[in-house]
Amino acid sequence: MKLDLRSIKSEAKDELEKTPDLRSLSEWHSKYLGKKGVLRSLTSDVSGLTPEEKKELGRGVNELRSFLEDIYSSSLNSVTSIKKDKSLENFYKTLPGKKPEIGHLHLITQAIREINEVFSKLGFIRVRYPEVEWDYYSFEALNMPKTHPARDEWETFFIDLPEDPKLGKVVITPHTSNGQIREMLKGRLPIRMLNISRCGRRQSDINHVPTFYQFEGFVVDKDISITHLKGVLEYLIYNFFGKDTKFRLRPYDFRFTEPSFEVDVTCGICGGKGCRFCKEGWVELGGAGMVHPNVLRAGGIDPEVYSGFAFGWGVERVLMMRTGLKIDDIRYLFENNLKFLEQF
Amino acid sequence: MNVLIPFSWLKDYVKTNAGIRDVAKALSEHSFSVEKIIDDDTLEIEVTPNRGDGLSVLGIARELAAVLPVKGFSADWVKKSFPVKKYSGRDKLKVKISDNSLVPRFSAVVIDKVKVKESPALVKERLSKVGIRAINNIVDVTNYCMIELGQPMHAFDYNKITGHEMTVRESKRGEEIVTLDGVKRVLPEGVIVIEDGDGRLIDLCGIMGGLNSEVDENTTKVLLFVQVYDPVRIRKSSMSLGHRTEAALRFEKGVDFESVIPSLQTAVGMLTELSGGEVSSELIDLTGTVYTKKHIKIDYEKINKIAGTEIKKDFVNSTLTSLGFVIKGSDVYVPSWRYDDIEIIEDLAEEVIRIYGYQELPNELPGGTLPHHTKTDNFALEDKTKDFLKHMGFFECYNYSAVPGSMAGHGALKVKNPLNADLEFLRTSLTPKLLDVLNKNKGYSETVKLFELSSVYLAKKGDLPEQPYMLGMVARGVDFLVFKGIVEALFEELGVTGDFPYEITEHSGAIISCELPFDKMVDSAGGSRVYSPLTGFNSIKEDITIIVGDATSFSEIVSVVSSTDVRVNKVGFKDMYEDALTLSIEFLDRAKQITSEETKGIRDAIIKNLDSKYGIKLKV
Repeated sequence: MKLDLRSIKSEAKDELEKTPDLRSLSEWHSKYLGKKGVLRSLTSDVSGLTPEEKKELGRGVNELRSFLEDIYSSSLNSVTSIKKDKSLENFYKTLPGKKPEIGHLHLITQAIREINEVFSKLGFIRVRYPEVEWDYYSFEALNMPKTHPARDEWETFFIDLPEDPKLGKVVITPHTSNGQIREMLKGRLPIRMLNISRCGRRQSDINHVPTFYQFEGFVVDKDISITHLKGVLEYLIYNFFGKDTKFRLRPYDFRFTEPSFEVDVTCGICGGKGCRFCKEGWVELGGAGMVHPNVLRAGGIDPEVYSGFAFGWGVERVLMMRTGLKIDDIRYLFENNLKFLEQF
Repeated sequence: MNVLIPFSWLKDYVKTNAGIRDVAKALSEHSFSVEKIIDDDTLEIEVTPNRGDGLSVLGIARELAAVLPVKGFSADWVKKSFPVKKYSGRDKLKVKISDNSLVPRFSAVVIDKVKVKESPALVKERLSKVGIRAINNIVDVTNYCMIELGQPMHAFDYNKITGHEMTVRESKRGEEIVTLDGVKRVLPEGVIVIEDGDGRLIDLCGIMGGLNSEVDENTTKVLLFVQVYDPVRIRKSSMSLGHRTEAALRFEKGVDFESVIPSLQTAVGMLTELSGGEVSSELIDLTGTVYTKKHIKIDYEKINKIAGTEIKKDFVNSTLTSLGFVIKGSDVYVPSWRYDDIEIIEDLAEEVIRIYGYQELPNELPGGTLPHHTKTDNFALEDKTKDFLKHMGFFECYNYSAVPGSMAGHGALKVKNPLNADLEFLRTSLTPKLLDVLNKNKGYSETVKLFELSSVYLAKKGDLPEQPYMLGMVARGVDFLVFKGIVEALFEELGVTGDFPYEITEHSGAIISCELPFDKMVDSAGGSRVYSPLTGFNSIKEDITIIVGDATSFSEIVSVVSSTDVRVNKVGFKDMYEDALTLSIEFLDRAKQITSEETKGIRDAIIKNLDSKYGIKLKV
């Protein structure tokens, strides 16, 4: 009898160790401790036993029962707590990650990078020239007559400094075209320049800021013609705006180029059908043209031998057009409200 | 400048089978951009500043005559003319012109027995389409002719001109005139004005007439007035008076000096017809400037070189002719209405190629030799810096180049004509504005880090200001050593070597800032790296905590520690609590494995040295 109890004990223990979940645990429980379980069956038929033997059996069974109940309840505990841990752990993994605090690059920086990327592939070399500049480089050498409206105090910022007898007044350059003259005067040909720089104009409203950025493409070489300008523009527009965007050159007028063009691209909003945001399907990208012979001369280059093209556009404007961001007031770009900046 | 030109009006000059959309497309691609089509008839056209001749029905009609045939449409010119009236009569006008440059051409004629009344429906309708309010038949004729011919004109009540005398002169500062719109205007110096026999100002020339000489319902005698004024003075005056009228906008672009008399004639014809009046004076025509015909040598090859494709001679010739140029042999004569605009062969090339069509030219990438390349590191290091700071949690800011006086800094350059008081000076430092931004974003978060990478402007005697690139950094709620650590890590990232000097400034409100001369950083960046051979022996790392004695800086302590023994491989800062400084020291012997007995000896030597130099003791 003793042997019986011992083997039941070790059997039950082994079995219990193999129960992986609640269901098998309850099966184990009814097998050994249930109403029709193993322990009950041990005491169900005691007819052939002496009172001594009965007593001993009862004690042995009771011992075994309390042992089995103990190991059962500790198994039960561990199975349920494993289950609890597992599900909490899974839940924990669904929580959002703890991000390192990452800041934000300004939209203008992002645009400059994209522009530079496209042009660098065509061999354009990025440069930067003075933002506060002599009148000579910003106007005079660019074939702009003294009476040109851009040279008066309503459109350009003048700095309170004495005039230079040769180079004139000091201004905040209103465009990146001062870079044309400075690049040519380096005396190294051919030129493929990308000048991205800060400019200033005397204006401030929802579409204009007194400080803004322009990028200027400038090419001088032998036999440069309008077809080359068109080729570069096609590459730029294809890469920057996507292959579905078409462009056109329209006659325009700038003092430093002849012929001069305005470059239009198909409206990104209506796809060129015409809508209230565009002009009969087109939106203006910016100005371009073939370098005026007087400008080449001012840069020390013989217009009979060399020719070139140039274009200078607003970084902010091109960016807005590409992204389709409708920022209702362009001055936000310089207000540095963090709730604005964090969106980019 | 945008003008409104009705297609129905254009048809007075050009008969065509093109529809309005064809016309708009042709104009946009070859002449001027059509911005809008209003009510299926009126074209809103952006005329470029060099093309004052385009600011009229006649001017646009001329373009259409050249452009429509290229697009495959018919374009037949309709000749329009009024019978020339005889200019005679007893009415006179005494004219004195103080300076011929003010008014290169002055013409006028008196018309008597006019009946002032409403204009006919067609005139009123056309004026309304171009945005001009009809007033009466006299005034309407002047406006109608301005829109049709591009020549601004004015009508005075002849009897309101005292003594029938006019003196054209420049204004003196402070003179006053009440203009037709009832506004009293106080004039600056140098505005072109007309004074009558009584010394009253009766006209703000080229901008708007005076109220005291206006045509009203009782007027019977009109002085019709067509001039050419100095465009620069007109622009200046109208800008400084803040009064930009249709007339002024046309005068400042320059009007066709040869159209003065034909325009006057047209206006006289129309005026007499609509008002029943008759000419009662000689033609007054004073020419202050004589224009000589301009011509340019044609160069077909040059035109082809600019275009990058071959354009046939015949096309060149017929295009120029259709635009009003006259070709005699190899000379091309410029029409008077393009006098200011066409100078050189490149100008002619533009005329030919734009009509040929920019769309027709092929697109090619330039080939040829490689462009000259001078490598600069600045841009790459700028990108690196910006990315690094972004990843450190900084927001990048862009601020205006100009700042108010309070943020300008010592010796800041002044803007002569600032837009407002906030933009009066060129900034000499990025920090004040960044601090301002920090302050404006108070509620954003406890910790805020900002940077800007831009130029500042430092006055330099007798030259342009120096314009170095600076890196400005400010932060709120960031520990001093954490902020300093970012600066040091940035130097590491860029390879800025040596002891690059910099200063961190603490401000009230847990704010901290640092401004670095970026150009100089670039100069000292990327120095050659030194390789120390790897060794197979292990180092031993130990922390020691000392009580800071008389040492005034960390580097003093480091220098003592590292110079104590060559086997001191690295000295690092670990922690500081009150006056207890914990250093982490790495010991390494490159020749053999170092033992803890040996490190103990070195450590004792270190403490001894620190004690003798700065009275530093080991913390117990």
